[in-house]
Amino acid sequence: MGDPDLGWAATLHRMWTSVGRISARDELAQLILPPLQALPGVVAVWGLRHAPDDGSILEYRWTGVPLEGANRDLARAAASGRTPEELSALGFAGMLRDRFDLPGEAAGTILVAVDETADVPVVQACLGQVIEVTREAIRRLGQRRAEHAQQTRDALLAEASLQMDAVLDTTQTMQRVPRMAVPAIAEGCLVFVIEDGRPVLRSSVHVDMRRLATLLGDPAVVAHLDHLVGRAVLGGPLPDVDTALLSTRAVDLQPLHARGEVVGALVFLFDREASAIPPSSFLRDLASRAALAIDNGTRYERRSQDVVTMQQHLLPTRLPAVEGLEFAAAYLVGDRILEVGGDFYDVVTGPDGTVAALIGDVCGRGVDAAALTGMARHTLAALLQEGHTPQRAMARLNARLRLDGSWRFVTAGVARLRSVAGGVAVEWVSAGHPAPVVLRHASGPERGHGGGAILGVLGEPRISESELFLAPGDTLIIFTDGLTESRGPDGVMFEDDALGETLDRLRGRPLDELVHELSTASAAFGGSRTDDIAVLAIRAGKEQLR
Amino acid sequence: MSNLIFVVEDSDEDVEAIERAIGRSHPALRREFFRSGADVLAGLTEPGRERPWLMLLDLNMPGESGLDVVRAVRARPELDEVRLVVFTSSEDQAEADACHAAGADSYVYKPLNFALFQSVLSQTLDYWRSRSRSGNVARMVVPPPGDSSAQT
Repeated sequence: MGDPDLGWAATLHRMWTSVGRISARDELAQLILPPLQALPGVVAVWGLRHAPDDGSILEYRWTGVPLEGANRDLARAAASGRTPEELSALGFAGMLRDRFDLPGEAAGTILVAVDETADVPVVQACLGQVIEVTREAIRRLGQRRAEHAQQTRDALLAEASLQMDAVLDTTQTMQRVPRMAVPAIAEGCLVFVIEDGRPVLRSSVHVDMRRLATLLGDPAVVAHLDHLVGRAVLGGPLPDVDTALLSTRAVDLQPLHARGEVVGALVFLFDREASAIPPSSFLRDLASRAALAIDNGTRYERRSQDVVTMQQHLLPTRLPAVEGLEFAAAYLVGDRILEVGGDFYDVVTGPDGTVAALIGDVCGRGVDAAALTGMARHTLAALLQEGHTPQRAMARLNARLRLDGSWRFVTAGVARLRSVAGGVAVEWVSAGHPAPVVLRHASGPERGHGGGAILGVLGEPRISESELFLAPGDTLIIFTDGLTESRGPDGVMFEDDALGETLDRLRGRPLDELVHELSTASAAFGGSRTDDIAVLAIRAGKEQLR
Repeated sequence: MSNLIFVVEDSDEDVEAIERAIGRSHPALRREFFRSGADVLAGLTEPGRERPWLMLLDLNMPGESGLDVVRAVRARPELDEVRLVVFTSSEDQAEADACHAAGADSYVYKPLNFALFQSVLSQTLDYWRSRSRSGNVARMVVPPPGDSSAQT
């Protein structure tokens, strides 16, 4: 038996160096087949990649005689150890074969066809060496793939945490989780949450959109998934997954735990080879982050709803109908604040028919502020309704606040409206409250006076009084400082930058529209505003007050 | 099956990242880049031009969007076999639904991290390659240029 020569040794060395640099198995054939083809007497070199599960052929590579059509049948036969007669018709005097197998990798066979001139033992020895180089190259590729998979999983967890921390919207979180997971770590991902004790599919992503639609359109699949998730919620071992029904190779189910309860589950669908499926510990980690984000979002949404509901209880459900006057109010809850604010307003009619519109703001937020807000509004409204003057009502509120010993103070303003010849006379009484605006029907906005001192601090309240006049069609706008003091990104207040322009734009608009647009314009100006906004507008109609 | 894919992407950074990612994970796939929907639609109608087995489409591009390209391709029955993968950072579920309704095969999230970006592309290509495989893949082997190992 001859030995491979020095030239082959150099070739083998170069091959070894080259295969160390490749990043994908697809690149391997072009490095390992041509050197074999170049050996004396070699007619063709055929490479076959075997599927790991059923042994079918995944890929064919060749040099020399093309591995196409009927030649593939010959190659498969030769790879399985037979030597079909038809090979001689291709000019092959012999066919040498060798194969490598590696756990977790697709096996490969190399077939070398030779003519009569070949030194068969030498070619066989060279083939054996190439097989060894190939096996090592594939082992290294597998190692690098595992490292890359780990990097991918680390990156996914980091990105998932970042993305999930950025939102408090549960719907968005439930869409983000599967969208990030597919197809990086799984071919499909479904998010179930438990609602009224039953699993409800809230989000689903699959790399193959049509396949997902078909799956979820099959009642048997839906029932099976419900069954799996339902069992996961109860704890204990999971029932067998019907992968054939789900048309997938493998399934992993991770319960979503929040505050000691299972609130849902993530279902991962895998088509990839078993070696490429992430470890269960990683999927558990991802699920726990998703559960935390979903739970935070749910709690935030519930709290936001509670705040809105409570705030509504502190405000009048309707404003009175008064001939000759039109009222509209808007209240915007501070977007990022999960506590009840202290703004209030109301409109009452005194025994003599005098109408009083009141507005106020208790400093601070939360339960204490809410209690004071209710008290302040009812104190002022009740006294004004009984016919007391605004000054008297404010003095009583001041005394009450001081009696309670609360550190919280209140700003308040009352507009008393009387019908006079040609319009409505307004007596504006202020205790540290922002000055009102009169939006003239025939011209631009005018600012009234504020003045006075906050209530709840001084023994004798300091109250400011001023007079305003509304001609028919004019609108008096009273509001809390959330409207005027919302700040843009550069720190400039809405009052200093955009209030006048916004009011000009809204002149003549229906009153409901005016208060809504004014408050939302301020909120938009402030962006991440941190305060509530209350706006109450009174428009003098053509009818006269009594 | 062809080993040619078309990539439609208007961002220079994303073109570079896609080229780098696929070059590493699937070096044998030939990549042809188009910078707009109009360019790729013109390319697809060019007589005699090789057709791809898969198109990777950005969603938001000036002019024809990825969704417009999906609609235009799916309106041509001779391109039924071409897999259409929308690769986007958009989170809008309505856009995903619209792409599905228009006939896209995948709507895949475009991550910021490169390792993740490479995995997402690689897994998408592997998935569709395995689905498109009619039994197997055959290829003649040509040694890489400049490598003299075959000359020995």
